[in-house]
Amino acid sequence: MSRELLASQKNNRGILLDPRTKLAVLITIAVFILGGSYEGIMQYYIIVLAAIPLLLLSTARKWKGAVLYILIFGGSLCLEMFGLSRLAGVANYIAVAIVGILLRFTPSVVMGYFVVTTTTVSEFVAAMERLHLPQQITIPMSVMFRFFPTVAEEWSAIGDAMRMRGVRFGGGKAGTILEYRIVPMMICSVKIGEELSQAALTRGLGGPVKRTNICKLGFHVQDVIFLLICLGAFATQIYVLAARG
Amino acid sequence: MIECQDVSFSYPASTLPESERQAGGALKHISCTIEDGSFVLLCGTSGCGKTTMTRLFNGLIPHYHEGTYTGSVYLDGKDTRDLSLFDISLKVGSVFQNPRSQFFNVDTTSELAFGPENHGIAEDLVRDRVKRVAAQLKLEPLLDRSIFSLSGGEKQKIACGSAAAIDPDIYVLDEPSSNLDAYAIADFRQLLFTLKSQGKTIIISEHRLYYLSGLFDRVLYLKDGEIEGDYTAKEFCGLSARQRDDMGLRPLDLAGLSEVEGTPQRMNEAVWTIKNVSFAYKHEPETLHITETSFPSGSATAIIGHNGAGKSTFARCLCGLEKHFKGTVQDQSKTYSRKERLKLCYMVMQDVNHQLFTESVLDEILLSMGTEDKQRAREILQEMDLLPYEDCHPMGLSGGQKQRVAVASAIASERPLILFDEPTSGLDLFHMRQVANVVNQVANTGRTALVVTHDPEFILRCCNYVLHLENGQIQESYSIEDSDGRERLLKFFLSDMKKEVSTE
Repeated sequence: MSRELLASQKNNRGILLDPRTKLAVLITIAVFILGGSYEGIMQYYIIVLAAIPLLLLSTARKWKGAVLYILIFGGSLCLEMFGLSRLAGVANYIAVAIVGILLRFTPSVVMGYFVVTTTTVSEFVAAMERLHLPQQITIPMSVMFRFFPTVAEEWSAIGDAMRMRGVRFGGGKAGTILEYRIVPMMICSVKIGEELSQAALTRGLGGPVKRTNICKLGFHVQDVIFLLICLGAFATQIYVLAARG
Repeated sequence: MIECQDVSFSYPASTLPESERQAGGALKHISCTIEDGSFVLLCGTSGCGKTTMTRLFNGLIPHYHEGTYTGSVYLDGKDTRDLSLFDISLKVGSVFQNPRSQFFNVDTTSELAFGPENHGIAEDLVRDRVKRVAAQLKLEPLLDRSIFSLSGGEKQKIACGSAAAIDPDIYVLDEPSSNLDAYAIADFRQLLFTLKSQGKTIIISEHRLYYLSGLFDRVLYLKDGEIEGDYTAKEFCGLSARQRDDMGLRPLDLAGLSEVEGTPQRMNEAVWTIKNVSFAYKHEPETLHITETSFPSGSATAIIGHNGAGKSTFARCLCGLEKHFKGTVQDQSKTYSRKERLKLCYMVMQDVNHQLFTESVLDEILLSMGTEDKQRAREILQEMDLLPYEDCHPMGLSGGQKQRVAVASAIASERPLILFDEPTSGLDLFHMRQVANVVNQVANTGRTALVVTHDPEFILRCCNYVLHLENGQIQESYSIEDSDGRERLLKFFLSDMKKEVSTE
């Protein structure tokens, strides 16, 4: 089920982290690697941060992802350290651009991949509730996660129908083609949305009492370690800034 | 106890498709009392108000659906107007028709826990409840699964479990069997037995009656929004086949079906042959494996088998919708490639909304034609009884009419092979026969019809030949033009019901 946005089944392998920890790690990686701060000792700390997704992926036995990550990130790193100086002209220019982009983006993308493939929707919603987000945010979010795979199903069914009827792009009527796809799509989505909300209301959603959630969430040793690493990144950055200025 | 006192309800005119406006599921002066612990069957033709009636009981009327509402419904003495949906949800559990769209979560355990969670019950108690409900309704094998990996039957069982987790006294089910195969229905019947034995009040609106015999103790027959008959189980079973037929109801047991009038004989020498088929979805084991099979052209063939047997996949492969399909499809003269099959076959989908694109019925037909020919298009519409609607928006038509529009555009595209994917799910007797007529019409005009279906009565009315798929392989294939073949077909559908009787 590659169409799902978040996992719908629990995966109990590897280091189990609280969804909140995963989010914290994701944000930290994004801020420092994507945001790019390579001053002073921070450049070494970044290696530690970049290693986190690798560690998590391999303990979760997602080998394919782990190997790809090593190849792309490791490869770019090697290239940056040893290869770039030997290239000249346009080749150098292109290589610098590609390596720069890969180095900055891959860790966040891979961490994001890890978060979405190992967090179930219920865990995510439970985590949001623990973070005291109001129901007005958590309920629409959970509906969204439920709705995406369904919309994808509708989309592909309509695509099939169009192929079967020989309606396709290139007939010179791009506008009409879009209309053919969007109209049935909207009608089906509205119908499904309506049925979904009826089902939810008859199960008591949106009542005056506070919802509970059976997902077992909580911080454990591994969460504390990862959170400390994240905190460390921020502390180091502040230290670097303070030393500079 | 539920009491209805002179309830009338009608939906606002604007929300209804034009064609349904006269009947429109409105209710007129309904008064009845439903005792605790009774099992009530609501039956009647489409648009008679069955679904509307279930909505009265689960509070969606007046709290969700707007309309003109007079009279009152009392749940244990309290007017549903004064109760909120939240209050009602503690007393009444609902199961709906469409298994795809009644889940709020994406995994089964959370779905079972969803109701109790909404009622703010403490986590540990919720977990106990989920366990208990799973044990009572035999749902343990389904726990901790992704909703998207479940079959229709499994989804419907989870929907019941999810209602049961709140532990209501009343269950309201609206055509729960619409999307289930014979085997899943037998399973579902078992589950209803369990609920009934717990002393719950059960109200079920349904077209397929055969799986409910022995369960219901009262039948309310609705016609045009009024209760026209109020029978005890004994009285209802005593109705003659003729009377039931006149009421527009499906038979109470399958054995009686052997007398259904047969399909016209359409013996044809020409056949379609399918060879060396193998197909697997990405990262999954092989779902289809057929060395060689054939079915007569110019007649109607039913594809039967249990859920997950590969029927729909088979149909999709035949249409050329699956790229990784290996195998050949040929008729007398030539072998067709995948691209050619896309132009050779036309599938009328289960959810016909997916395949109607244009702004009017006439445009829909013209779109399918190689060169637009209004004259011919009108002829086809005439043939399908659609001419009065030629300027209507297809989405404004009723379900049956939409289906006929799809068939009409298939005819317009002059394709020899027309497939129907479960065309009769959720249809009453009258509409089922109408679809059977459409299939007969397709076959009588020399086209080949293939029908994926779970509906034995429908097969007997319009098909000549049966392909029985099981585990992705052709288990058997036979003609049902003679009585032997018909017996064999009924035996297949009856065996599932028997299996369940023996486990009782």
